[in-house]
Amino acid sequence: MEYGTNEEQEMLKTMARDFLAKECPKTFTRAMMADKTGISREYWKKMADVGWTGLILPEQYGGSNMTFRDLSILCEEMGRMVTPGPFISTLVMSALPILNAGTEEQKQEFLPKIAGGQLIMTAAVTEMDGDFWPGAIKMQAYPRGDDFILSGTKSFVPDAMAADYFLVACRTKNTPDPEDGITLFIVNKDDWGIYVNPLQTMDETRKQYQVTFNRIAVPSKYIVGEVNKGWQIIKAAAQKAMALYCAEMVGGGEWVLETCVEYAKTRIQFGVPIGSFQAIKHHLANMYTQLEYSRGLMVWAAEAVKDNDPMADLAVSMAKSYCGDTFKMVTGLGVQIHGGIGFTWDHDMHLYFKRARALDTVFGDANYHRELIAKYYD
Amino acid sequence: MTTEQSSKEAVFRRQVRTWLKTNLPKGWGTPEYKAPERQSEAAQALGEQWTKTCYDAGYAGFGYPKEYGGIVRPDWEIRIIREEFALCGTPPGPMSQGLLMAAPTILRWGQEWQKKRFIPKILSGEESWCQGFSEPDAGSDLANVRTAAVRNGDDWVVNGQKVWTSNWTYADFGLLVVKTDPVAKRHRNLSYFIFDCNSPGFSRRPLKQMSGESEFGEMFFDNVRVPHKNLLGELNMGWYVALTGLAAERSGGFAVGGRSTARRGWGNMESIVALAKETKRYGKTVWDDPVFRQKIAQFAIEGEAMRANGALQAAMSRQGKKIDPNEVSVSKNFSAELRQRSDDMVMEILGAYSQMVEGSPLAVNDGDWVYGMLRWRGATIERGTSEINRNIIAEKILGMPREARSE
Repeated sequence: MEYGTNEEQEMLKTMARDFLAKECPKTFTRAMMADKTGISREYWKKMADVGWTGLILPEQYGGSNMTFRDLSILCEEMGRMVTPGPFISTLVMSALPILNAGTEEQKQEFLPKIAGGQLIMTAAVTEMDGDFWPGAIKMQAYPRGDDFILSGTKSFVPDAMAADYFLVACRTKNTPDPEDGITLFIVNKDDWGIYVNPLQTMDETRKQYQVTFNRIAVPSKYIVGEVNKGWQIIKAAAQKAMALYCAEMVGGGEWVLETCVEYAKTRIQFGVPIGSFQAIKHHLANMYTQLEYSRGLMVWAAEAVKDNDPMADLAVSMAKSYCGDTFKMVTGLGVQIHGGIGFTWDHDMHLYFKRARALDTVFGDANYHRELIAKYYD
Repeated sequence: MTTEQSSKEAVFRRQVRTWLKTNLPKGWGTPEYKAPERQSEAAQALGEQWTKTCYDAGYAGFGYPKEYGGIVRPDWEIRIIREEFALCGTPPGPMSQGLLMAAPTILRWGQEWQKKRFIPKILSGEESWCQGFSEPDAGSDLANVRTAAVRNGDDWVVNGQKVWTSNWTYADFGLLVVKTDPVAKRHRNLSYFIFDCNSPGFSRRPLKQMSGESEFGEMFFDNVRVPHKNLLGELNMGWYVALTGLAAERSGGFAVGGRSTARRGWGNMESIVALAKETKRYGKTVWDDPVFRQKIAQFAIEGEAMRANGALQAAMSRQGKKIDPNEVSVSKNFSAELRQRSDDMVMEILGAYSQMVEGSPLAVNDGDWVYGMLRWRGATIERGTSEINRNIIAEKILGMPREARSE
């Protein structure tokens, strides 16, 4: 496990920061907030051209074959800029299950297009109860000839309007063990009978949808992994996505802190910069401290996932919980330190504040993960 | 790692383990072992003896050049020694500010004779040290020292009072910050000396703390003569010498949780979980209470965060990246405040029994938990209050302007 970064990783970081400053300024992000798909294909293609959309895919499928830690460094920079778009939905929640559990035909069909930026995908797992857990999967799929027929509604599906394909988790068997009997299907969004409805969510940089599947026929060749054994596959992808969300939260948190530090130096009240007041200093010191410890956990989680470490699940739960709490605290203080201006729509602080709320809930909030951690000591 | 290296390490590890088995105090690590009372002469003797035994065997005294008594070994050997020592939870060293403050300060600022005379006996545990810095009117405002020294021949004559002196009881030598220029500006008027605790005119007395003991003391200087050659660093530049020691002291950290630290020590994750599993409140096991599970899990997270952050910083310094020396304020605050949060959590687990102190037959674990809670209320005050450290983080690391103050 290497906590430090190597020269290539430093280069990737610098390159990512430059790319995002140029291609993804806040004006672009705000335009995407108003866009119904939440992403521009032109921007997506530019990301593909620098090798990001296939960053951790093998070269034989058009990827750049970089490591999970590299991906985490990239996501930290993306989080720093609250970048919009279905990056984690496509590369982690969809491409990785195909890579790790899919057939060679599926890999050939989907992975090169994902790496090349021609194809966007998202995973449709969560349903109306809003939680990511196997018991929530009620949407049925039953066999008919060589096909499966999918019927039901998925909710809180990220990036569904932008996606070309969905990876859908359906119940194919009812058993006492909720993890058993879940199957993953690749579904073309253009299939007749799919309805995508936007949800009015707070974080408009990353949109969510309700997707209804009305008797959709999916050929068996589009089943990812074994029938009834899909939960472990999607859970493994979620673990990786969480480790990356932690990187986004740390990156976002650092933007907030830097912005506050700058503001506290220049904002004059009572004839002096507000940063000379201990009340402000102590807020900033607390933000700095918690971000630093969040970074430690985030790096541990990324390395543990990269190395397939037996502690990886624990590391991810600890990082997700702590980074989630920290990002909420830091963005809350970000608004507070900026005072009136921080409360306006025009200031960018609320984009981070809302992203923090969204990321805390996805794949289980801090409380949920603390309970998972407690179970390790049962 | 090559197999050759790993088998070399295994052999060495066995060697350390065997040595520990033979040399640890009789009964160590078993319930039969009775530790000497805190702050007692027996405790001090054990600490001194143990350090000397380790030092003579080459298992202590790392990080200093050979000519000043340092034990030089390859990094991997030191790592294994530390791991094996941590695994046994070896006896604490003597009560002394020697390793933590005196040795780093003397190494950085000392004259050659001072390094040769003092550092070896600090490393071997033979001489104990204290430090005189805080005064009744110089707490957080440390530069406001009033104890004064006046030059008289080859000596300085010192008069004044020091307070909150750690390890005052058995100290042979002390570090002393005194005002040597009555008119010069703040930070340019202090000097840093080494003084002999057997000097005529020097006296000390205990300061009883809220935890009931007297780990700290007060020192009085009544025309105490300190030779000029005992000066550390330049005359009137003692403030800057003192900063070295303060930073070293802050980096000490506090014993708190985590998977890989303090396996046997107070307050680690395993012992808190064990306590929660054996304690019943309102007819239910504490560990089954979801609120406590949340709190204990949070403690586990923060303990791991400390470990992970330490690994991250170690990796950075290995790669030659500069780490801001003011980072010690971050880790000091985090560990001190985490320590208090975990103490408070344990008190909640104990309920009514959290009131029982050492000596009561009803006290849980002979009152150790409660003692720890009381003792470490000081953690956020000593070595720079949490508030002062937050100012340092904001001003020195983040570049916030200083507050207007009267000087």
